[in-house]
Amino acid sequence: MAYLDLERVAKSYGQVRVLSEISLALEEGEFVSLLGPSGCGKTTLLRIVAGFEDPDQGTVRLAGTEITGAPPAKRQMGMVFQAYSLFPNMTAEENIRFGLKVRRVAAGAQKERAQELLGLVGLTQHRAKYPHQLSGGQQQRVALARALAIRPALLLLDEPLSALDAKVRVQLREEIRHIQRETGVTTIFVTHDQEEALSISDRVVVMHQGMVSQVGTPAAIYGEPANIFVARFVGAVAELPAEVVDGADGIVELFGRKVRAARARGMAAGARIHFLLRPETVQVGPAGTDGGLDGVVVGRTFFGALTSLRIQLAEGRGSVTAAMPSGETSRLPQGSRVSVSWAEDAPRILPQE
Amino acid sequence: MKGRRRSAAGPKIGLTLIGLYFLVPLVSTGAFSLWEGGNRYGFRAYLALIHQAELWQSLGLSLRLALETILVGLVILVPAVFWVNLRVPRLRPVFDFVSVLPFVVPPIALVAGLTALYRGPSWFVGTANYLVVPYVILALPYTYRALEVGMRALDLRTLTEAAESVGAGWLTIMFRVIVPNLSTALIGAALLTIAIVMGEFTFANILLFNTFAVYINYVGQTATTEAAALTLLSFLITWLAMLGVLLTGRGQAQIGGAR
Repeated sequence: MAYLDLERVAKSYGQVRVLSEISLALEEGEFVSLLGPSGCGKTTLLRIVAGFEDPDQGTVRLAGTEITGAPPAKRQMGMVFQAYSLFPNMTAEENIRFGLKVRRVAAGAQKERAQELLGLVGLTQHRAKYPHQLSGGQQQRVALARALAIRPALLLLDEPLSALDAKVRVQLREEIRHIQRETGVTTIFVTHDQEEALSISDRVVVMHQGMVSQVGTPAAIYGEPANIFVARFVGAVAELPAEVVDGADGIVELFGRKVRAARARGMAAGARIHFLLRPETVQVGPAGTDGGLDGVVVGRTFFGALTSLRIQLAEGRGSVTAAMPSGETSRLPQGSRVSVSWAEDAPRILPQE
Repeated sequence: MKGRRRSAAGPKIGLTLIGLYFLVPLVSTGAFSLWEGGNRYGFRAYLALIHQAELWQSLGLSLRLALETILVGLVILVPAVFWVNLRVPRLRPVFDFVSVLPFVVPPIALVAGLTALYRGPSWFVGTANYLVVPYVILALPYTYRALEVGMRALDLRTLTEAAESVGAGWLTIMFRVIVPNLSTALIGAALLTIAIVMGEFTFANILLFNTFAVYINYVGQTATTEAAALTLLSFLITWLAMLGVLLTGRGQAQIGGAR
């Protein structure tokens, strides 16, 4: 039996169905992200686990015990919120000790645990500061320490990084992952940022319109999207309309040309498909290269190490994006005629609905 | 240039006129309170006042009533405003409306309603404690507004949920998390209540309790210079309360680090 077990959990607000019968299981010690655009129900699902919302139907089980309907204070879950949530009248240390104080832990043990956690989040020298004397990143670390102080059965992170600036965000997410590994606490992390989800999770749950679109490891979510929503939402992807010509050999027709695609094998001939290409799988060569599709560079975006080129294909009937080391793109100014190719197993193939 | 200079002078003249409108009566009252007949001026009226036991009794009574009013008002309103802001924010307009009703209903109507409505044990209805009921109502607009502003400045929902998630119950949340972060609002509400209770006349006079304001009125009818002195004293109390509100309100821009 899984450590956290959600079974057919559903929730509506009035006429709006926010969650439709979601079932999900987490193993102990796992770090799982709920990823999706705003309004997909990920935060509602987290709040149901935390006990701040009651599901209309379905059950929540933690370590075999049903906790649906139990008040949040009885669930032994540490939570870090998107908004800064430290108690303004307490110092960093007092904030961390709050949950222990409520539990009437002896003062000495409280102090010891607070020291340990301040050390873990790297804020020992800031223990006597009030929240308004701490930066946003420091406040979220204290909030994390406060959540961990009670040795929670489950750590719930509700977009804890979204109010921070980019550099702190990356640094803190790595620290969160490190701390999670160190403590072994089972963690649910809610985010709308796919990079965040992919970089720190054991598994990612992609949600869309109140349903689970796909559950899998970050590599599987990125590399083998189960449907067009996941393909579009996670990572950049070029979508080209195509049709299967020969399912046995994996040959599809793309802009009137027959192209090999390993993943089209086994599909029925005549099936209309999405032919998907990730930017890093697209190779750009001089125009007229054998086996390539001809195109024109119509846009360039410089990202530092990489430059992304937008290339229009087949007289504007489709376009792909290629991500290349910036140094290699100097010979490809806007307007250059190029040829685009990819490895046979690079394209992902999804049936058109 | 000329027009601009003229427009800059306009507000100054306006302010001066308004200042005079307030100051002249005060200065005159002050001068009159020092008058000892003929050409003599001195502190006789003040000295006479402080030797009257009734002054201290009425002052003591009014202060006690003010404290009781603060206590009862806060005990009722802090949880109520907390609950409205946290759980039923859509009821906020209703609360806003109710809170200003005391401005609309004339005190005389309130007294009549009160005496008809409230019949209780004699320790309550028969004593000055009875005045706490109308005073809580009179102070409602100020207390409510102060608390409402204080609570809106806090992210109540996040703070409450953060406390709940680590295991805090409602009493702990209220007394360890919410109230300590409302100190400015609470002090403001308390000082405004003191100012109101110290100056309230209608209820006490009709219900025949000898509060500070009633005593001022009585002195005014019997000893004129002493009444002037007393008026200034009561102003002083009100001003000190207001000054307290202003001083504590200054730091309000950053209550802790809730932002």
